[in-house]
Amino acid sequence: MTLELQLFLLAWGTLVGLDLVSVPQMMIARPLVAGAVAGTVLGDLRTGLQLGVVFELFQFDVLPVGAARYPEYGPATVAAVSMAHAAPGLQGLGLGTVVGLLTAMLGGVSLHFLRRVNARAVHRAVARIEEGDAGTLVRTHLGGILRDALRAATVTAVGLGIAWEARAVFAATLSPTGVTALAVAAVGAALAAGAAGTFRLIGRGPGLRWFAAGLGGGALVAWLR
Amino acid sequence: MTPRLGASLLRLFAVQGSWNYERMIGLGVGVAEEPLLRDLPGGVAGPAYRAAVARGARFFNAHPYLCGLVVGAAARAEHDGASPEQVERLRAALTGPLGALGDRLVWAGWLPFASGLALMAVALGAGWPAIAGFLLIYNAGHVALRWWALRAGWAHGPRVAAALHDAGLQRAVAWTGPAMALATGAALPLVALHLAAPFDDWARAALAAAAAGGFAVLQLRWPAIGGLRLGLVLVAAALVVGWVWQ
Amino acid sequence: MSIALYRIDDRLIHGQVVVGWGQPLDCAFIVLVDNEVRESDWEQDLYRMGVPPNLEVIFASTVEVAERLPTWEADGRVGILLVGDIDTATALCANAPQVKRLNVGGIHHRPGRTERLRFVYLTDEEAAKLRQLAAQGVEITAQDVPTARPIPLGEFT
Repeated sequence: MTLELQLFLLAWGTLVGLDLVSVPQMMIARPLVAGAVAGTVLGDLRTGLQLGVVFELFQFDVLPVGAARYPEYGPATVAAVSMAHAAPGLQGLGLGTVVGLLTAMLGGVSLHFLRRVNARAVHRAVARIEEGDAGTLVRTHLGGILRDALRAATVTAVGLGIAWEARAVFAATLSPTGVTALAVAAVGAALAAGAAGTFRLIGRGPGLRWFAAGLGGGALVAWLR
Repeated sequence: MTPRLGASLLRLFAVQGSWNYERMIGLGVGVAEEPLLRDLPGGVAGPAYRAAVARGARFFNAHPYLCGLVVGAAARAEHDGASPEQVERLRAALTGPLGALGDRLVWAGWLPFASGLALMAVALGAGWPAIAGFLLIYNAGHVALRWWALRAGWAHGPRVAAALHDAGLQRAVAWTGPAMALATGAALPLVALHLAAPFDDWARAALAAAAAGGFAVLQLRWPAIGGLRLGLVLVAAALVVGWVWQ
Repeated sequence: MSIALYRIDDRLIHGQVVVGWGQPLDCAFIVLVDNEVRESDWEQDLYRMGVPPNLEVIFASTVEVAERLPTWEADGRVGILLVGDIDTATALCANAPQVKRLNVGGIHHRPGRTERLRFVYLTDEEAAKLRQLAAQGVEITAQDVPTARPIPLGEFT
């Protein structure tokens, strides 16, 4: 992969990371979108969508309510697609998921760290903000957005770095059985997370009937195909 | 739309930009409210403006798409000459309900609904149109909600609770839950089949077992074990198997 | 099943409560104990707007709660009881000694409070009140969402 392509992925991962919380929350941070664009950048939309679907399922396990902490799957999907594009078939799917999960964990930690750094910045400016100094207020707020951009870029860069290393460390050492086992584990975990997250969203109320109806319809279409 | 409402709306798209544990999105709310305060008596150099800017940036948290309600309502209350205590009480009273309503409507309704449709479309081979459709459908609701919230808050001021009885909003709240359940239910079998396509027969059986076992673990051991942890444990175990079983 | 969660949260009914806890607990009713909200029709209207139609919201004062808690505890449905501050929690435990568990879900920054956890800010006086409740036999932990670890009182006061 050329340096130019890596830089495109880094820029895209940064925008994706910014979109999650800071601006503009138009959901390019969703793994399906992040993966599709990353795949298109690499000329491999199929892989982008495949990893996008896997991490979209993991995303269903996350509910960003209140001030809860959660993994960040957007830049993680960009790194995962970068890994998967460089490895054939099931190996790419499995190793891409490994890279993505590690990056998602790092993304979650970095968000927590950013919120602490932002609090310190607010502390420094609080006296002027309490005097009603709009200039200080806007500058402090913009500082938070810039820090988030830096955070998102760092997470994406580390994710792309993990992908680079994973190619060297794992790609040559996995047996065919190991490749299949890894892909089975990755997709199995994603399906389990997607189903369990959906169940929690729906609860045990009247939504269950609608869910059952959808499940039946989806199964029928799948069977007919 | 007046230029100041427009400026406020644009700033609302970045309302969470300085998210922190101490004031949460208070600063972002203050930044979005600021253009609506510029024509308070005395202008931007006057004490009314400065006091309102300071109040606007204090602790606040709610769903980001509905923050326009508090931005508009608090600004209107400042213009109406409400006391600082009344404005603070209004902000405090809106924090929880706007969070609860927005989380139900968007995070647990509209977003998973749109995502479920997109997953279905991708599983059925739609490719890029599925992604473009997701962004268009989701953001039509997203932008409309942000704009409605700001307008309603600015129009109703301290009587903003009345705005939440809006018939369109109530219909949206009522149908997003069932629609989300239907869409995600339909997406799951299609996505499972789509992801299982590259595997051979025995691997598909193993995949079904892994998914069912993982689901059982997440149901029984949640919240101690969530999706990320389950994924890391399973792929780590598979890597060990892959090294041992050459 | 009665009251599954007794929670101190200054945002009262919000997303973490309705979606984060309410959905997995299959919660059917929320008891909001707050003397000011009990007297304010427009605030009650706001809080009702935040919950789905199948979730009942009951508003009570700290005095009413003593009388009505046995009824809510005997209810076959799952409920969550919310208070907005430590003084109300103290009054709740004094008026209803059967309350033996308290979840600190969110007490946020105000002048005079210092950070104890990322979602718990307390004055020294508030921390002392929580320790006093614990000394009276109330088990107090801090946990914002079900996926987080419950943190014992000793670790944040």
